[in-house]
Amino acid sequence: MKRTAGIAEGGVAGAAGGLVFGATMGVFGMLPTVASIVRTDSVEVGFVVHMAIAVVIGTGFGMLLVRRRVRVSETVFWGLLYGAFWWFLGPQTLLPLLRGNAVAWDLAGARTVLPSLFGHLCYGVVLAAVFVMTRRNHAATRARWRFDAVGRGAVAGLVCAAVGGPDLGRLVLGAVVGACYPLLFTARPEATGPALIRGTLYGFLWWVLLRLSLEPLLRNGSLDWSPDTSTAAVDQLPGYLLLGAGTAVLFTWFGALARGLFVDDVRTFQAEAPGGRGLRATGYGALAGLAGGVVFTAVMVLVGALPTVARIMGASSPAVGLLVHLVISQVIGVSYAVLFRRRSFDLVSGVGWGVSYGFFWWVLGNLTLLPLLTGGHVDWSAAGLAAGFPSLVGHLGYGAALGAVYQWLESRANPWWVTRSEAEAARAAARREQVLGSAPALWVLTVLIAVTLPVLVG
Amino acid sequence: MRDGAVRTVVGAVAGLVAAVPVGLLLGTGPLWFAVYSLVVGAVLGLARRQDTAVALAGGVLVGVLGWLSFSLTADPLLHGDAPTWSTVAAASAYPALVADLLHGAVTALLLALLPTRARVHGEAVPAKRIVIVGGGFGGVAAAKRFERLALRGAPIDVTLVSDSNFLLFTPMLAEAASGAVEASHISAPVRSAVAHTRFRYGRVDSVDTTGRTVHIGSESLRYDHLVLAAGSVPHAFGLPGVREHSWTMKNLADAVRLRNHVLALLERADVEPDSERRRELLTFVVAGAGFAGTEVVAELFDLVHTVSRYYPGVGQDESRFVLVHPGDRILPELPAELGEYARQRLTARGIECVLGVRVVEAEADRVLLSDGDRIATRTFVWTAGNRPSPLVDLLPRPSGDVGPLVTDAALRVTGLDGVWAVGDCARVPDPANAGKPCPPTAQHALRQGKTVADNIAAAIAGREPVEFRFRTLGVLVALGHRTAAADIRGRLFSGFAAWLLWRAVYLAKLPGIEKRIRVFLDWTLDLAFPRDIVVTSAPDKVDAR
Repeated sequence: MKRTAGIAEGGVAGAAGGLVFGATMGVFGMLPTVASIVRTDSVEVGFVVHMAIAVVIGTGFGMLLVRRRVRVSETVFWGLLYGAFWWFLGPQTLLPLLRGNAVAWDLAGARTVLPSLFGHLCYGVVLAAVFVMTRRNHAATRARWRFDAVGRGAVAGLVCAAVGGPDLGRLVLGAVVGACYPLLFTARPEATGPALIRGTLYGFLWWVLLRLSLEPLLRNGSLDWSPDTSTAAVDQLPGYLLLGAGTAVLFTWFGALARGLFVDDVRTFQAEAPGGRGLRATGYGALAGLAGGVVFTAVMVLVGALPTVARIMGASSPAVGLLVHLVISQVIGVSYAVLFRRRSFDLVSGVGWGVSYGFFWWVLGNLTLLPLLTGGHVDWSAAGLAAGFPSLVGHLGYGAALGAVYQWLESRANPWWVTRSEAEAARAAARREQVLGSAPALWVLTVLIAVTLPVLVG
Repeated sequence: MRDGAVRTVVGAVAGLVAAVPVGLLLGTGPLWFAVYSLVVGAVLGLARRQDTAVALAGGVLVGVLGWLSFSLTADPLLHGDAPTWSTVAAASAYPALVADLLHGAVTALLLALLPTRARVHGEAVPAKRIVIVGGGFGGVAAAKRFERLALRGAPIDVTLVSDSNFLLFTPMLAEAASGAVEASHISAPVRSAVAHTRFRYGRVDSVDTTGRTVHIGSESLRYDHLVLAAGSVPHAFGLPGVREHSWTMKNLADAVRLRNHVLALLERADVEPDSERRRELLTFVVAGAGFAGTEVVAELFDLVHTVSRYYPGVGQDESRFVLVHPGDRILPELPAELGEYARQRLTARGIECVLGVRVVEAEADRVLLSDGDRIATRTFVWTAGNRPSPLVDLLPRPSGDVGPLVTDAALRVTGLDGVWAVGDCARVPDPANAGKPCPPTAQHALRQGKTVADNIAAAIAGREPVEFRFRTLGVLVALGHRTAAADIRGRLFSGFAAWLLWRAVYLAKLPGIEKRIRVFLDWTLDLAFPRDIVVTSAPDKVDAR
């Protein structure tokens, strides 16, 4: 019964998403391509076929998520992931096959259908939003937002934007991005680590919305998601990612500070004091960071990046570079332990958080801090991002090893999911549900952004 | 086959099945893609089971990571080239990215769609109920080990029963009695030490080994395996007045009470005009010169002399410390030269070591020795005898069998099916010393706890338990201010170096980093501030034993 309802709601949501996606396809003249599945080039037929596909795919989404108790914002990430996945499966795989061609699994083909990627993302967002709204018990998943949270978000966004310099436009953008954060994600207290990853993707959404969509729309009067425009816009992607991540982190910290100072009911403080197992956790973080650093070292040695790292200390020797690299690896490992303690419960979740954190550190560390610390200039252009791709792979490898080793160490010392009573099991289940709310979608979206960078930068 | 192995195989098969359509579309060499698919499938098979959406996300994630590991890294290496991880390399490997991504998703989908029974093989096996009695080193070590085993899939349900809700670090008990460390800092709550074990705070009233039930008050706990780690209690051997008039050093309350008692005596002695009576108040007798007795007399000496400046009515030479021991040397657990060293150090400070003599009787204000000597004292500490916890008497044993529970080398109690014993309440044969039992030390109890957990898990799994084998790492004894003696695997240490070793080793062995930090701070503050002389019990209670 529930599954049937999910299929119906997914179909409706798919139709809504299909309308938005179809409109963008109309703009880019892609509907005849869809119509060619039924051996015609009619736009109208193409739209009908497109809508039929959108409904069918929407039912799949409904079947997947009907049993999950997820909030609107979390479902949005699932929608984004679902859309991104269908970009690989649809226009690159099934569409060519249905048209009687070979699959278009090459970079040139992927760049050709790049506008379709953003269309799929739009489809996913609308699909998810409508799906949640049509759920019969959607009241249980609806969260209220508060004005104080909006103000807190605006201040967080403003502070983050101010780091980039006192540019009025940037400050306004930061305040708007920050104010919208609690509107989308509510003021629900959460750990800093997951907020950081969610914020990174929140920044990506703003990049797609503002830089990639609204800006050309306002300038030229039409959408322009072409490969060349996307490549030109990529220079602002790291900035948006950092703005989103910083806003989410500051928003979380401001909330924790406010609760710590002004809330006198200790029942609201569920978290264990950090001194208990926190010290051990930081040790584990250093160890896991070292393991990740060793993995990353292989990349650095092969691409000859160690002398660059050594320049942080004013040296050029690879040995110094290795030392600095391993120290940084451990420091980041400790920060991982602080931010993501008790957030993993199996290998995949550990790796998921780890690679997401590794990606964040590629943006902050490799693309931003490293040039500043070594006397260079920050280069966020497409060429700069392309040049940093080996480092991105290293950061993802580092994150995977960090997350996996940390999860293994934590499971030996503090397996929080092992419970002794029904009450404890309920608490663990609630935590798992919170972790799994949107976390898997966040992890996968993060790595998909990472591995599709070659498509974006051309 | 174990559950993990089954899941790995099922995952590998799913990976291989998913590889067929994806591999056909990719059109790459079938062998390598098959190997890759097996690995990815095995990894996904091992992952914790979630709903389909999470499983699919995990599949895509593993697929992308597989692309990074295999197509961008391993593949160039296999072709004799160094990987570059450049965008050019990524562009040329792009077909594999889509293929790996889709392969991960299809594999995860196949695994998610498998019937639950096939996915979670063996989950229906009922958990064996294990009850551990005793929250000391052996019991807590066993519980910790069981937690690890449960994580690895052992079907066990463990309950730990103890009449104290903390694990006491007994090697520092004498320091707690002298106020060198705060008493609560040398103990750790059992609930946090074994956070994933069910804990019952209470005393076991009876054990029904036939019905396999442990009774705690009105509560009954059924067990499949019972681990007795109840430790030992002081034993006065029926000597007149000893039980009634002696202070013991077995638990935290003993240490706190003794400290309060000594400080209260100093308060009284400070205002006592009669010198004989003052002398009686300031005489401290300790019976038994093993580790506990020697450390207690040395710490009491330090306590009295470091705080005496606060008591102007107490003369520097009025206090007397007597260590009574029936043997011909103190610390018989140590090599003779270290025992002699310890005796010399104590004697040099003015502590009397009375050897070859026993305490035969005790009264409220005096102790009678076997050589006829009577020592007037208000403080008589008894560390000369221990016996297993009275709990062992609740078990059916052969008539005339007293003392610790006799176990075989695998820690099974002889004649009692499903009952195991570790620590001070057990007589475990020592394979290294034929015919002799393992010594009743914390380091043995710890290892026995781990071994008994492994052996019970082995018995549940139908495997043969292993013998307990452990060679003593070393022994250390503190002799008061900045002095200790140690025997580490035959290497002897004494004096300041041994004292540093003592502190380093026991600080590291304290349960939990929080307690380590607290004790370290206690020691550090002790360097800069005088010892606390606050008496925390009511004045009329200071003599109560």
